[in-house]
Amino acid sequence: MAERSDLKAELERKKQRLAQIREEKKRKEEERKKKESEMLQRTENVSEDSDLDRKRRETEALLQSIGISPEPPLVPTPMSPSSQSVSPASETGSQESIDGGTVGRTLQWDTDPLALQLLADSVHGCKMQRLGASKIVQIDFIPKELVSYSKETQTPVASDQPEEEEDEELSVPKSEPVPQQLEEEKLQEDEEVHPRELTNEEKEQIVHSEDFLFFFDRSIRVVERVLAEETDIFFDYSGRDMEDKEGDMQAGSNLSFNRHFYDEHWSKHRVVTSLDWSPQYPELLVASYNTNEDAPHEPDGVVLVWNMKFKKMTPEYIFHCQSSVMSVGFAQFHPNLVIGGTYSGQIALWDNRSHRRTPVQRTPLSATAHTHPVYCVNVVGTQNANNLITVSTDGKMCSWSLDMLSQPQESMELIYNKSKPVAVTCMAFPASDVNNYVVGSEEGTVYTASRHGSKAGIGEMFDGHQGPVTGISCHNAVGPVDFSHLFTTSSFDWTVKLWSTKHNKPLYSFEDNADYVYDVMWSPVHPALFATVDGNGRLDLWNLNNYTEVPSASVTVEGGCALNRVRWATGGREVAVGDSEGRVWIYDVGEQLAMSHTDDWSKFARTLMEIRANRGDEEEEGALELPA
Amino acid sequence: MCDYQKCKHWGGNQDYTSTRNKRKTHLCCDMAEVEDTLKRIQGYNGVIGSIVVNAEGIPIRTTLDNSTTVQYVGLLHQLTMKARSTIRDIDPQNDLTFLRIRSKKHEIMVAPDKEFLMIVIQSPTE
Repeated sequence: MAERSDLKAELERKKQRLAQIREEKKRKEEERKKKESEMLQRTENVSEDSDLDRKRRETEALLQSIGISPEPPLVPTPMSPSSQSVSPASETGSQESIDGGTVGRTLQWDTDPLALQLLADSVHGCKMQRLGASKIVQIDFIPKELVSYSKETQTPVASDQPEEEEDEELSVPKSEPVPQQLEEEKLQEDEEVHPRELTNEEKEQIVHSEDFLFFFDRSIRVVERVLAEETDIFFDYSGRDMEDKEGDMQAGSNLSFNRHFYDEHWSKHRVVTSLDWSPQYPELLVASYNTNEDAPHEPDGVVLVWNMKFKKMTPEYIFHCQSSVMSVGFAQFHPNLVIGGTYSGQIALWDNRSHRRTPVQRTPLSATAHTHPVYCVNVVGTQNANNLITVSTDGKMCSWSLDMLSQPQESMELIYNKSKPVAVTCMAFPASDVNNYVVGSEEGTVYTASRHGSKAGIGEMFDGHQGPVTGISCHNAVGPVDFSHLFTTSSFDWTVKLWSTKHNKPLYSFEDNADYVYDVMWSPVHPALFATVDGNGRLDLWNLNNYTEVPSASVTVEGGCALNRVRWATGGREVAVGDSEGRVWIYDVGEQLAMSHTDDWSKFARTLMEIRANRGDEEEEGALELPA
Repeated sequence: MCDYQKCKHWGGNQDYTSTRNKRKTHLCCDMAEVEDTLKRIQGYNGVIGSIVVNAEGIPIRTTLDNSTTVQYVGLLHQLTMKARSTIRDIDPQNDLTFLRIRSKKHEIMVAPDKEFLMIVIQSPTE
């Protein structure tokens, strides 16, 4: 009986409690809104009261939590004077608490501090200053890249690796049986739906695999060529006007711009140090580049192989080296090899059959090889007996076999008059001569030299330039008359001089330039045509049969950069020019200028005679007739 | 591929990048190249998208949204297989090297391989 009454009492209390909670919740929401509006209007007195009340309630809440129950009469009396102002919720709550008994009060206390919290917040909200966002001006400086080397040795961390490998192995076999099952199931259901999605790790694995890289490298090359083509196979000649065809209007001009090669990543801020056309594929051009000072983490030496045939703007092959490449050339009798001479004296050999960008072979950095920058590399000889000739700026000439670059086959110091070595900046072999060659030096003198024979080493000296000789070129064109004794040199003294190996004074001096002349090259097909480039960005074509005073065609390259190198294409119809900003410009030479006629040779012979005659008149007896 | 000393390219004269997370990676293995190259392809005049697919017909890299990719891959994979088998049937010594489908609106170029497939969709410049 007593239990039942107790149960009933408890049930009633619980019901009351629930009712209280619901009512309190409703009231609280209403009063929160009221409070917010009220508090904004209130003065400090009110806030003080609320603070006092708040503090009292907090202390009592703390006491309650410990276990000391507060005296009921104390609760309502402090609140009555402020009952109107602050917290009607607590007032009603307190009334309810009286009704509900101790049980209800606990609820009231539990909930009240929360109400107090809200009050406190809103009170504080009034007092706090309004903070607004201020405008921030952000200035970003690109940090200067510092070359950092990790000093730790990269020994494989044995403990980590086996775990990773194990994980990989575990995950791979797990994933394989599972998708196979899924595949089978799905194939049974619907063959067109994709079996599964690859997780990112699996994709990364595939992308990192050797096969993928191989496939990617080849396909990208093909795809880029295709993408770059803009020919419209559906072009309808009948519907369009012929005025649209402006490209052909330039056929009459002598020297017209064809295209330029520039790679944003690899050739930016680098100087083009050397160019060479491929003997096997006339559309391939190799260009070597200097260091990029803005990117110290990039490799110092870059060699790019460009393709003229397709319109894509990316290089066919990209090769690197740890030292700047000063001279580059295709190996004449090995179609896949590219040879580069570097600033450190190493000769690097790249192979486009391998998928590496680094040299497949390099000469050692030893005293037997070169220790100074190598500015001249050349492959001479025949298919069966060929050598790589390299000369460095300390006067050392080395002859190498392309099969073995670990040591030179022969090396020779180029010393003039047994006194000082020649600082060679450029070298040229006359056509079809493997023994004798000419070199230009930093002092402005030109020497002939020979590799073998009784006079191995430096032969005669040709004096005439007043500045370092930057480029030298032997007469290349083969025709009825032999002009292979002629060569031209360019120099820092703003002139280009024409020499013959038979005279140690220049035959003629071309003085049309207004800046350092950086390179010169004879045309491979025309006997009287050669090209020069200078520091003003000017490309000049001199046709000695027309004028000897001024160039026959001249163009200034856009951008205002100095032009460092010039190379004729093997057909003699295009000229490649490399500038100091990493761009390679290809110019087409007009047909009248580039192509030689049968009488050009005889005309040139006459021109030479005139030149000699003029020179003989002007000069005193200083000229020596040298034995041929 | 890399991790430098564990890479198969290790041994001999090797050049490396010294920055990526201060770990050396062989220049030849530098993976950012693949992503950059794909981005570059995407930047060509008129290119709508490019997809790289593996032998099973699952796209590995794509620049298109998922549904389009799945659709293209499913259809083009089958078509490439069919084209390849056609070439092979005519002459068993022959093999498919490139597939170009020109439509009114686009041109789809497929560069197949033994194991992978590269698909590029370009709209012709008119």
